Amino acid sequence: MFQKIKYTLIVLSFFSNVSAQISIDSTAKMLDEIVVTATRTENKVSNIPLPIQVISEKNIKMAGSQKLIDILQMQSGLVIANNPLGTALQGYPNPFGDGIQMQGLDPAYTLILINGEPLVGRNAGIVNLGRIAIGNIKQIEIIRGPATCLYGSDALAGVINIITEDPKDNSLNLQTHYASNNTFGLTGAATIKNKRTSLELFGNRYSSDGYDLDKNIYGKTIDPFIDYSANAKFIYQINDQNKLTFSGRFFTEKQFNNYLIFPQSQPEVVKGTTVETDESLYGRFNHKINEGINYTASIYVTSYSNNAEVHVTKTDSLYEKIQLTEFLLRPEIQVNMGKNPTSLLIVGSGYNFEKINSSRYSSVKELSAWYAFVQKQFQIKGKTNIIAGARFDKNSLYPAQFSPKIAIAYRAKPNFILKGSIGTGFKAPDFRQQFLNFSNSLIGYTLLGAREVGHGLQALQQSGEINPDIDLSPYLKETDLSPEKSIGVNAGLDYTIHDRAVLKINFFRNDISKLIETYNLPFNKTNNQAIYSYMNLDKVFTEGMEANFNYNFNQNFSAAAGYQYLIAKDKKVVQQIKEGKMYKRDPETNVTSLVTPKEYKGLFNRSRNTANLSFQYNNLKHKVSAFITTKYRGKYGFSGLNNFYDGNLILNDDREFAKGFVLFNTTFSKQLGKSWGVQAGIENLLNYKNKLLMPNIFGRTYFININFKLEK
Amino acid sequence: MKMKTMKLSVLALALMVTGFMSCTKDDTKESAPAVTKTDSISIPFSTSHYAFFSFKNGAVVPITDSASTNWDFGVHFVTLIVNSHASGPGNAGVITEEGVFDSFTTAPESGYAYDTTSTQLAIDDGLTTGWYNYDDATHSFSPKAGRFFVFKTTDNHYVKMEITGVDYSGFIPPNPPTTLIYKIRYTYQADGSRNLK
Repeated sequence: MFQKIKYTLIVLSFFSNVSAQISIDSTAKMLDEIVVTATRTENKVSNIPLPIQVISEKNIKMAGSQKLIDILQMQSGLVIANNPLGTALQGYPNPFGDGIQMQGLDPAYTLILINGEPLVGRNAGIVNLGRIAIGNIKQIEIIRGPATCLYGSDALAGVINIITEDPKDNSLNLQTHYASNNTFGLTGAATIKNKRTSLELFGNRYSSDGYDLDKNIYGKTIDPFIDYSANAKFIYQINDQNKLTFSGRFFTEKQFNNYLIFPQSQPEVVKGTTVETDESLYGRFNHKINEGINYTASIYVTSYSNNAEVHVTKTDSLYEKIQLTEFLLRPEIQVNMGKNPTSLLIVGSGYNFEKINSSRYSSVKELSAWYAFVQKQFQIKGKTNIIAGARFDKNSLYPAQFSPKIAIAYRAKPNFILKGSIGTGFKAPDFRQQFLNFSNSLIGYTLLGAREVGHGLQALQQSGEINPDIDLSPYLKETDLSPEKSIGVNAGLDYTIHDRAVLKINFFRNDISKLIETYNLPFNKTNNQAIYSYMNLDKVFTEGMEANFNYNFNQNFSAAAGYQYLIAKDKKVVQQIKEGKMYKRDPETNVTSLVTPKEYKGLFNRSRNTANLSFQYNNLKHKVSAFITTKYRGKYGFSGLNNFYDGNLILNDDREFAKGFVLFNTTFSKQLGKSWGVQAGIENLLNYKNKLLMPNIFGRTYFININFKLEK
Repeated sequence: MKMKTMKLSVLALALMVTGFMSCTKDDTKESAPAVTKTDSISIPFSTSHYAFFSFKNGAVVPITDSASTNWDFGVHFVTLIVNSHASGPGNAGVITEEGVFDSFTTAPESGYAYDTTSTQLAIDDGLTTGWYNYDDATHSFSPKAGRFFVFKTTDNHYVKMEITGVDYSGFIPPNPPTTLIYKIRYTYQADGSRNLK
């Protein structure tokens, strides 16, 4: 009898253990999640006065997807944004990849970090998110609103920080993934942990045959590719006070390009490859001087290259070769003083050395910058959390930038937190805007980066491409581009309705000024084609509201819903309409009239409404789970849609709207015994396709994963 | 400044109207209404020649007549020329106007620009400042709404003209189209007055 009870107790405790491990996280716990991105120190979500979202490892694993972009695009308020060039190159390899639009701002305005360090290598402003393998991500932290005060340039809309796994135990994970389009993934991860040292190794191979959404155009929409990634992380806990961390990351992707060109109006097939490589090394030393003071010294080195080369198949002659390499070296030190979160002072400083070389630049370009940041975090009466911080960036290529931010959270009730923050952000002019020296061979125009104007023009005049009578002297003085600037305001609330329901609401407004745009010089080349350069010109704003609601029906079943309302407009256009200087021409009647304020719908490629809904079901008894996630993207403007031109390049006509769509993904998982698991899923169940506007979305996709796990 | 030019043109208009009245037997106080027409000009994409147009005849002028005063303006790609100075033997001039085409009723008396040199043309063809919008994704260009031209023709007639579209045929991206088709709408005053109503 006694024996029996004991046995039952053991079973019970075993069960409770299991359920604690794999049951759905309590919704209230959402606010207890520990994040690092918001303050550069570990903090509970509830202590941070900023809109922050955490995508957990469990969530990523349940989705079963192999691509980061597939995970991100299902989150509320995040939308895939192609570079318009990428979408229009029908049948051509998209050289830029896909990025994420956040709070209505383009991908170039969101900083992408891995373990707090930036990825370099943006093509047309977009970091190809395909570079990030998904198999060893611990969590993804998304901060909305400017985070320049901690991270410097590019963090205007916010930051997406991908945190990789820290080795906790001895384990081995293997996964095979097979999906439509002969997509094949192999992932292996191993962690070894001793008393003082731990090591994590991760490798991934991912390949696909690509696909073709338009059979009438020669070549595939997405070309076949093969990716390899490898990560390693080594942690050495020297003693209680000192810790060393080393990590390395390597990624390479080879795309097999095959498309048509028309050199003399005759089609010719060209074939070749695009190879993208990304590698980094990171070393960090943590030292705890005493209970109140610790510091971190780190060094980060990363390089990126993109080499594209295509040959004309018939003659085997080189058609085009484009090369880009980027390099970044960053030593940094951060000192933390005081107690987190009640009273913590952080000061830090670092140095950036960047080098870039491209076949479209006249020579190797270098940039050096140093920065310092300070942040004070404190609590008043246990109810109000305040973070005030600022960062100073001194750069060799543009004026020094000072970026302050303040954020306040007030816990009105234990379950009700009001949050508000205001901060500034900047985006440094990129290398292309400063150094590009490119003449289009088809049309004959020339595009010069702001710093290339002087000697670019002289070279054109010497080669007879600019009339010798034109006086170039006003253009020889180097012109500086200023960074693009933003002010972001976020205000909202976190309301824990009860321990199974949490509501989060955030209102946002971003005002961006000094946007860098192309302009043309007041004279042409002798071939009558224009010369362009870059200038700080435009002002835009985005504003809206994001709401998220999480609800646990019971221990097995939970749901999450999100919604974003967005308005994004060009301030100059608003002004021109007000002044009666913005016209439209009806393409059917050819009659011109004025655009009214009401007709202006804002920037292209922004959906006023986006929404998402997901369900998680976990059956502990049968070790099965299901994950269903849907995303709605409302209608959005697209310039030149169906060759509709009304002569003003702004969104003011219903015919300029592309239809909204719904993505619907579903995944089923089944645990087999202790080590094995199988997952099967369908992505884009509704088979949404749009070859022109959304070439990155293949129709319905099926996948199956087999997982193997060993733990000790 | 604007006020002044307007005053001047009102004055000029008054003078003209009285002048008109005194030397014609016609009793009508206003000149004859101008005639609005639409037309299109097709040119092969690969040609290096301009296509020439005569408002008087309402027709494209053969290239063999390029050295004559038979044409008023020419077009090639995004560049427009007027029959003057560097571009032709005529004395045609042009003013680029901003506004609603239909509400523009009187041609200015003066202020007409000419093709001073081959690089200083009367009509701006710059990528951002010119008469068209260029779509760098599709390489297509389309005329800016609200921009039109007032010509004083080679035989001193007034006409307002707007380009309403640039079409193309034989377009297989990314290759340029084989033919560009400029669609124009213009209001020509045959009696020589500046009335473009």
